[in-house]
Amino acid sequence: MGLGLLALRASRSLALNRLPRAFAYQNPSNNAIIRGIVSTPELQNPEAAAAVQQPEPAPELPPRKPVAGARVHFTNPDDAIEVFVDGYPVKVPKGMTVLQACEIAGVDIPRFCYHSRLSVAGNCRMCLVEVEKSPKPVASCAMPALPGMKIKTDTPIAKKAREGVMEFLLMNHPLDCPICDQGGECDLQDQSMAFGSDRGRFTEMKRSVVDKNLGPLVKTVMTRCIQCTRCVRFATEVAGVQDLGILGRGSGEEIGTYVEKLMTSELSGNVIDICPVGALTSKPFAFKARNWELKGTESIDVTDAVGSNIRIDSRGPEVLRITPRLNEDINEEWISDKTRFFYDGLKRQRLNDPMIRGPDGRFKAVTWRDALAVVAEVLHQVKAEEIVGVAGKLSDAESMMALKDLLNKMGSNNIWCEGNGSDPQADLRSGFLLNSSIAGLEKADVFLLVGTQPRVEAAMVNARIRKTVRATQAKVGYIGPPTDINYDHQHLGTGTQTLLEIAEGRHPFCSALLHAKNPAIIVGAGLFEHKDKDAMFSAVETIAKLGKVVRPDWNGLNVLLLNAAQSAALDLGLVPESGNSVESAKFLYLMGADDVDLDKVASDAFVVYQGHHGDRSVYRANVILPASAFSEKEGTYENTEGCSQETLPAVPIVGDARDDWKIIRALSEVAGIRLPYDTLGAVRTRIRTVAPNLLHLDEREPSAISSVAVKPQFSQKVSIAPFGAAVENFYMTDSITRASKIMAQCTAQLLK
Amino acid sequence: MASLLKNALKAIREKGIVNALRTLREEGYTKCLLDGNILQTKIHNIGGTLVGVDKFGNKYYQRYEGIPHGRHRWVEYGDKGRYNASQIPAEWHGWLHHITDHTGDELLMLKPKRYGIDHKQNYSGEGEELIYHSKGHALNPGQRDWTRYQSWQPTKK
Ligand code: SF4
Ligand code: FES
Repeated sequence: MGLGLLALRASRSLALNRLPRAFAYQNPSNNAIIRGIVSTPELQNPEAAAAVQQPEPAPELPPRKPVAGARVHFTNPDDAIEVFVDGYPVKVPKGMTVLQACEIAGVDIPRFCYHSRLSVAGNCRMCLVEVEKSPKPVASCAMPALPGMKIKTDTPIAKKAREGVMEFLLMNHPLDCPICDQGGECDLQDQSMAFGSDRGRFTEMKRSVVDKNLGPLVKTVMTRCIQCTRCVRFATEVAGVQDLGILGRGSGEEIGTYVEKLMTSELSGNVIDICPVGALTSKPFAFKARNWELKGTESIDVTDAVGSNIRIDSRGPEVLRITPRLNEDINEEWISDKTRFFYDGLKRQRLNDPMIRGPDGRFKAVTWRDALAVVAEVLHQVKAEEIVGVAGKLSDAESMMALKDLLNKMGSNNIWCEGNGSDPQADLRSGFLLNSSIAGLEKADVFLLVGTQPRVEAAMVNARIRKTVRATQAKVGYIGPPTDINYDHQHLGTGTQTLLEIAEGRHPFCSALLHAKNPAIIVGAGLFEHKDKDAMFSAVETIAKLGKVVRPDWNGLNVLLLNAAQSAALDLGLVPESGNSVESAKFLYLMGADDVDLDKVASDAFVVYQGHHGDRSVYRANVILPASAFSEKEGTYENTEGCSQETLPAVPIVGDARDDWKIIRALSEVAGIRLPYDTLGAVRTRIRTVAPNLLHLDEREPSAISSVAVKPQFSQKVSIAPFGAAVENFYMTDSITRASKIMAQCTAQLLK
Repeated sequence: MASLLKNALKAIREKGIVNALRTLREEGYTKCLLDGNILQTKIHNIGGTLVGVDKFGNKYYQRYEGIPHGRHRWVEYGDKGRYNASQIPAEWHGWLHHITDHTGDELLMLKPKRYGIDHKQNYSGEGEELIYHSKGHALNPGQRDWTRYQSWQPTKK
């Protein structure tokens, strides 16, 4: 009935020259003759259709917005050229590609191989557009925009070109979207819906490709690969490993590691994000969930001091995936493998009940009331100087504030944060921050890394340095134990000796420093714990003075911190009164501190462990107070460059645990020294009186004075002991990562 | 009524008095005296055609003449003590409610072999252990563990 009616209507309404078409409808066997790949009849004859096209309407329509807020930055206003995109004039700087010009004009061009942070490859051909006076459609991602160019993105020729490319791409792409982890966030799916044809003409066999083993993190289904080479370019350009490459030509073309080997890069997880199809997906996340079931929470990474912006994808009470968020100033759009894959540690070894160690040495789960009563009682029995508090690597500013207030009320000021050493320099913010800022490192032309291995300590900072070295051939000098650095560098020496040589101008690297326009010195926070710390820091400052590293327009004297809590702790003034307070402590409050040397703790000391994982310190604890992990609470963290950011709760707190600051607040009430805040807002008001910069979220607060002018001269008395490595194992640095199975696998397979 | 008596006499003749009485009891005639519902069904059965018996012993009758509309099909429950509508298996439900004219025996052929499960009557009020609880139900003894984390065990050291 449908056909007949259609034919009837068609024959009635259509002009005589369209009649054969109506005929074809009536007679399905004739269909094959005029069947085209497109459903719109005009497109079967694009040339003719283009010929009869009306002239472009004048742009009286409201101007379009740039795609994804793309902005143009004209370094030199003379360099602006004007091009026309679909008739709209846009001004773009010289040297931009046609694709970028279209983006500024508000036209989203489909693409697979082009990625704004990688070099241009121009091999997928999806971005074809029509340019007036050019005989063929051009690949817009590789074509520079020229003055007066008339670009057309919605003509039948462009449409047909895209449909054709899409059809070729889908020829060898398997139809396994229902079982593909990329399904739902796949560029190929989206673009074939938006720009593809509604049918294909390919009837032969699809090719298949053997899967490659890239290690415990990246799962490969190589049959799905469309050879866009984004992953290859990412590996060589950003990650700095030559592991991935293309083998074979034509239909035998494959992505792989040339010889069977694992991908050993701390950034390898990012190929999962940049792969436009499901060829590279996350191994731990494989078949765990479909991405539309997930709830995304925008949060902050706490495994290192960089504070990468992440999105925690969760379903119900489980964190299922962590993906990066764009932040040009911190992590661009990458995150390290530790950040991406440590989340399974959040589900293992969790403390979920308050516990008290009985006289027999065994832990017994008790109620909060009992646990707090015991702690409060002991708190009042010890002398004020014997009370010591240590904040852990993952503590947020709010809980550190509360802990400091609690101990201060008890009359003790023995409180510090792990990693800052026993005598931290907290008076001047420039003394512990990455003063030139992470993004600012791109301006530097000489780097001096002192006792720091940024590749394992802060992978995102390392990616910046690598980017700079690649772009400007900046020189890198490194002092420290032999390590694997993935860009050109000079290994100057292993310890203080070399540092002194440079400070005295005896070292050949000095000339590089002296001639540099923007020299950057990066000092590792591992040196905070070194015994010659003061001497070394004054040596560094002498070098800084020598090389004019600190100027009003450029501050290149940097400290690279190790832990998420460190800089906030120093801002809040968590500085211990004496260096050996752990030994003399009778009451030790560990707030997630797992790297305290517990052998030093006196055997009769009463140890309270407040934290979320049963890691190291719980075994020495007398009372365990379960707290929430970073994925479960709202907390402020300051990163190494002094930018405070906030985590948001993505999943509910496990068991009977509570937020850190609430536990301390409750304890203060039980102990009879009530802290004056009941809400997170009130804690933040308290923080405002101590360190207001912590409340300026997502803003980098640079330090006002530079420390160079204030510090004393260095003394010559230093030992020649080499620097140690601050991070032994990149994959396991704190209680969450140590609990993670995936991180354990990485350690076993990748750090061989 | 007459045929009923005739049948009864025939049964006594064939099986002997003891067996016949036992059959009477099994068929629920003795219960008739106390339970009007059964008596009523028994009387209703007279003249009905037995269409089928399911595996729970429920007997399905139908009769089209001389019966008001809507009462053409009925069931005599196999369980004469505790009977209720939930004892009708799915395959007979349709026939009984005039949803289909296919009898339960015919529909049983369509029952999927691999995952079709047996009919279970509603045991409400008969004790918790007989009642069906979904997998997440608090009273389900084999309740699924919804804890999605593993807690630290203080046994070591
Ligand atoms: S694996 Fe993915 S990113 Fe790499 S070439 Fe294939 S499709 Fe592109
Ligand atoms: S995006 Fe231009 S050729 Fe691939």
